[in-house]
Amino acid sequence: MSAPATPAPSAGHELEKSKFGLYVEIAMLLAVITGLELVTVYLPFMKWLLVSVLVVLSTVKFMFVIFYFMHLRWDKAFCTILFFIGLVLAGGTMFALLKLFGSEASKPLALAEPPAPVYRIVV
Amino acid sequence: MSSTAAAGAIDHHNDPTTSTGIPNKKLLMWAFLASDCMFFGCLISTHLIYRLHPPPGTPPARQVFSIELTSFSTFILLMSSLMMALAVNAIQKGNLKSMRWSLLTTIFFGCIFLGCQVYEFRNFVFEKHLTITNSILGTTFFTLTGTHGLHVLIGVIWLSGMLIYSFTGRLGEKDAIDVEMMGLYWHFVDIVWIVIFTAVYLLEYI
Repeated sequence: MSAPATPAPSAGHELEKSKFGLYVEIAMLLAVITGLELVTVYLPFMKWLLVSVLVVLSTVKFMFVIFYFMHLRWDKAFCTILFFIGLVLAGGTMFALLKLFGSEASKPLALAEPPAPVYRIVV
Repeated sequence: MSSTAAAGAIDHHNDPTTSTGIPNKKLLMWAFLASDCMFFGCLISTHLIYRLHPPPGTPPARQVFSIELTSFSTFILLMSSLMMALAVNAIQKGNLKSMRWSLLTTIFFGCIFLGCQVYEFRNFVFEKHLTITNSILGTTFFTLTGTHGLHVLIGVIWLSGMLIYSFTGRLGEKDAIDVEMMGLYWHFVDIVWIVIFTAVYLLEYI
């Protein structure tokens, strides 16, 4: 990889100073989103809509944590790519497993049926 | 380890001495976290599959779960992530005292989370009669949340070790990468919980 561009010291120090407030703001935002998620599950809307809202809200939380708390926003892009390779593989595996085992054919038998009686003809 | 800029400030995001420009320890941690994503992905999907088609005799999860307790745990873990981020920020500025307080608070929040999980597990086993062996819900639930809890426990032990190490006088701004690496692990534990909270708990209430 190429040599990194080192930011000017003054700009770097300003960034470090401003990070404290930024982290607190993000944490508050995450707490608010968690509250919204809790409210969402009790709303009388269609299931697919509520599930979509929950997925979006948790994705937003996820992204805020990885890009700000985990510094991906300020780190080299390769860190993001490396992590997203794992994330995409995990997501793909989850999708495949859910599709495969979520299908009608993979439903477990409701109740094990008793074996049919065997009759023997005794001569 | 890290490059030193003209004014003596350390650039914590880049390391020109490595071929990638990224500190090797950080790269190692990101690779590990990427692999851990796949591990948790499989555990979560196993749980979801058995929730799609619950076998006969599976108790309704909504009657078993306590959303209040889990929400509190989630909030605690999010706040611990904030304290961890502040700890990394403090050590990057060479403020050891502030880093120690932030680490101590993170450990405290981590212990509260673990306490909540132990309470939840005890409640499930002794009052709701849900064990790891008596139903498929119990098996997938305890395996998933137990594995996550184990990650939190490892994080708490790591944090405690770092806190003790900081008193030896050998931890300074130049070692910020070690604290940052630990921080990455802790935040990962947090993001896994964000997914578990939605996929395992909240979806049951819809």
